Amino acid sequence: MGTNVTLDAHSEELMQQYRQLRPTLEKLSEEAYNLMQDALHEQGIYVTAIEHRVKTEKSLAGKLELKGAKYKSIDNITDLVGLRIITFYNDDVDKVAVLVQRIFDVDWKESVDKRKAHELNSFGYNSLHYICRLKTGSPRFEVQMRTALQHVWSTIEHDTGYKGDVKIPSEYRRQFNRLAGMMELIDDEFSRLRLLLTDYRRQTLALVKSGQLDDVQLSRDSYRNYLELKPFDRLNRRIASVNQAEIFPVSLMSYLRVLESLGMETLGDVQRFIDENSEEAYQLALAQLAITDLDILASSTALQYLCLVHVLKKGGGRDDLKILYDTINGESEANTMLADLMYQQAATLPFMHKE
Amino acid sequence: MKTTILEKDGNITAILEGRLDTATAPETEKAMKPIYDSEGKDIILDCAGLEYISSAGLRIFLCILQKAQGKGQEVYIKNMTDNVRAVFAMTGFSNIFKFK
Repeated sequence: MGTNVTLDAHSEELMQQYRQLRPTLEKLSEEAYNLMQDALHEQGIYVTAIEHRVKTEKSLAGKLELKGAKYKSIDNITDLVGLRIITFYNDDVDKVAVLVQRIFDVDWKESVDKRKAHELNSFGYNSLHYICRLKTGSPRFEVQMRTALQHVWSTIEHDTGYKGDVKIPSEYRRQFNRLAGMMELIDDEFSRLRLLLTDYRRQTLALVKSGQLDDVQLSRDSYRNYLELKPFDRLNRRIASVNQAEIFPVSLMSYLRVLESLGMETLGDVQRFIDENSEEAYQLALAQLAITDLDILASSTALQYLCLVHVLKKGGGRDDLKILYDTINGESEANTMLADLMYQQAATLPFMHKE
Repeated sequence: MKTTILEKDGNITAILEGRLDTATAPETEKAMKPIYDSEGKDIILDCAGLEYISSAGLRIFLCILQKAQGKGQEVYIKNMTDNVRAVFAMTGFSNIFKFK
């Protein structure tokens, strides 16, 4: 058998049954994995990993050596095929469990929620184990569901030989359990944080939609929500109409740091920046584009001209435009030429001559 | 308009010379076939000799970028002249591409 274990006749018989069943188990492992992956994808649940395996002969031999007499036939061993789903958050373990119940037949008598198995004053292995069959009929298999942190704890605990030959002294076991307690706390905190962030995003979106923009701090999330209102579309379309141009959609997220560098702190500041500079931004774009036949514009065009006008109206000169271009395009000497060109063209426009 | 394709140091480079406008865009598009077909290499568009680029040229650059991104390739624009740089800035294309 190639292993160092000695099996009695009954266990050898079970091992023989396992060998015969092996091709079926391989197929089952693959099928269960595919079903799980499709279900997670369909429900939009992102997980850290999905693992699947058929128990190795060596691992089974170890199990049979210890407790072979417990199993009447190979069908009594429920973890010959194992599927493990590792989630980011502990709330997701429950969501995955619902999916597992939906796509497989769960054997409730054999399934264990080890998260609930602990005494009130103990910490340790936290994982949800379901014993399942395919709905179309199959040998039983085990589905383990746990968070990434639970997985890390359990893998390290396993790796350090907690279950090995040498009995670990209780003081070290206590250290493992202390860490398990800490992991549980961190898992809960991550879930709580996710909930808080979801609430924050929802509130921000509501404020954006209700127009109370001065109450919303400019941040990655709030700016993304604000962009859903397409605040630059009107000016983009107006500029595009100069040459009946096509507008090529690009992400405007990179302009967040530009807006911040211009001193904007709330979405209200951004809205005022649009309201107060749109006419001049259009005039500047018109002065540049009308003498060309350029009929394709990136959807960042309006925002770029708004930024240029904002700087110019605040009394900025060539150097300030260069700094702006450096922020937009990345620092480069070539931006000096762009700043000069822009300043020269803007200088002919009425807004540059107002007191 | 002249387009030369070179493969060197694991990159594929298109050296563009002349005016890339509506009239010259079809021949340039054809000449770019090795760039479109390339895989696993960074693409460099050397614009040192490019005197002018129109919307038709910008569309070719965009097409190269989109296909390259789909295959995990990077596109760099090198040695842009002031005229061409101004067109990129006016149309908002400056921060879509990476420059060398």
